[in-house]
Amino acid sequence: MKLSLASVRAAREGWSLGAAGIFEEGIHLVTGNVGSGKSTLALLLAGLVPPAAGTIEREGISSVMTAFQFPEFHVTGTDLESECRAWGLEPAPVLAAAGLSGGKNPIHPLRLSRGELKRLVLACILARDYDLLVLDEPFSSLDCIEKERLCGALSERKGGITIIFTHEQAHFPRVDRIWEIQGGMLHDRGKLPSALVQWDHAPAQIKDLIGRGRIPANITRADLLEAACRT
Amino acid sequence: MQDIRLRAGAAALLSLTAFSGSAGALAVFTWWLVFSRPRLVLKKARIVFPAIVLVAFFGMVLQLTGGGGFSYCVRMTVIILIGAWVYSGYRQGEFIGLGTWLLGRKTGFELGMIAEMGMQSLELMVSDLSRIRQAQELKGIRWGPGSLVPASGILLHGALRRAEETAELMAVRGYHHGGSYCPVFGTPARDIVAGMAAVCVGIIVFVPVSEFFILYH
Repeated sequence: MKLSLASVRAAREGWSLGAAGIFEEGIHLVTGNVGSGKSTLALLLAGLVPPAAGTIEREGISSVMTAFQFPEFHVTGTDLESECRAWGLEPAPVLAAAGLSGGKNPIHPLRLSRGELKRLVLACILARDYDLLVLDEPFSSLDCIEKERLCGALSERKGGITIIFTHEQAHFPRVDRIWEIQGGMLHDRGKLPSALVQWDHAPAQIKDLIGRGRIPANITRADLLEAACRT
Repeated sequence: MQDIRLRAGAAALLSLTAFSGSAGALAVFTWWLVFSRPRLVLKKARIVFPAIVLVAFFGMVLQLTGGGGFSYCVRMTVIILIGAWVYSGYRQGEFIGLGTWLLGRKTGFELGMIAEMGMQSLELMVSDLSRIRQAQELKGIRWGPGSLVPASGILLHGALRRAEETAELMAVRGYHHGGSYCPVFGTPARDIVAGMAAVCVGIIVFVPVSEFFILYH
C-alpha cells in the first residue's frame, strides 16, 4: 500500500507548491507555516482536487477519508444520532467515544461548540479503518486532554496510511515519518528519530532536547519526557 | 473597468436598462460582449451558470402559468451577467473607497464597509460550498437537491459565526462609527469609453428614437 507523488504541483495566483515522494503505510506528519499549502496538499493527497501538474498514484488503496480543518463541513445530520448514522455508524459507541453521550434533548450538531463538533467528527472518522486517512489540522479546537486522547487513538491505528497536517507544537502521536513544506516544496525529512535533526519546524522543546544531545526516540509526550529525564 | 465609481454607476444604469424590456436587455448584452471581457468574467464568476439555470426554471414556470417568462428570463440573465462583470473586477477595499467618496466618512464609510464584508463573505461561502460538497461525497452522499438543505445550514452558520467574530473584533478595537479613508481612483481611457458606451445604451433604450431623428416628424 503506497501513495506516490511524481513532480506534483499545485498553483494559485502568485503561489505554487511542488511535491514528490512516497507515502507508505504508517503515520506521516506534515508540518509547515500557516499559508504554506498544507490544506491544499491534503486535498491533493485525498484526491479531492487534481494537481496542476504531475501525477499521484495509489497502490493498494481502496478507501480514503479526509477530516477537514473545520468540522462543520462534514455535518449532514439534524441531531447527534442522525449525524452518526449518516456516517453509517451506530450512535451510542461513537457518542461515548466523543464524550457526548448522555444528552437528553436532541441537539443539532451545529449547536455544539467547535471543540465538541471536532470530537464528534473525529470519533466518526476514527470508528472505521481507511486505507488512506488524511487529517487536516486534527488538533485545532481541542483542549490538551482531547489532544492526548486523539494522539492515543491515532497511535493505535493498525495498518493503512495516515497523513497528519498540523502546526501543533506540543501533542503528537507516535509517527513514522516527518515531512515539511518549506520554500514552496514538500521535503521528506525521513524516518524517526533521525528526521528530528533535520526538522526545521520542530517545536522548541524538541529543538532544545536535540541541542542538548538528547534525541528522543519519537515525538509523543512520553518519548519527550524520557529524553528529558535521560541521564 | 478599474474605476469602481464608473463600474458601479455603469452597472446600475445597465441593470435598469436591461430590466426595462427585452430590447434593453439585448442592447446591454451587446455592451457586455464588447466591454466586459466575457471569458474572464465567466471564468472568475462560476456561479453565473447555476444562477442562469435557476432563473430559466422560474422563467419557464412563469411562461407556463401566466406568460412573460421568456422576457423575464432574458432580462434577468443579462442582469446576472452584469453582476458577474462587477464581481469579476472586484479588488479588496474598493467598496469602502466608493462609499466614502459617495456619502462621506461616516455613513458612506459604513455602507462601503458592509458591502466589503458582503463581498468577502460571498467569496468565503463559495469556497466553503466546495468543501461541503467534498465532505458529503466522502460520506458517500451524492450531491443533489437533497444536499442543499444541510449545505445551506452550514453556510448560514458559518456566515453568522464570521459576522459575530468580526463584530467582536471591531468592538475590541474600539470601532464606533465611520472611519477616516482617503480613496484614490485610477481611471484609464478604456473605462471612460466603456462608461460613455453604457450611458449611450441607456439613452438609446429610454429616450424615444423620434427624439433623435428630426426627419421622422
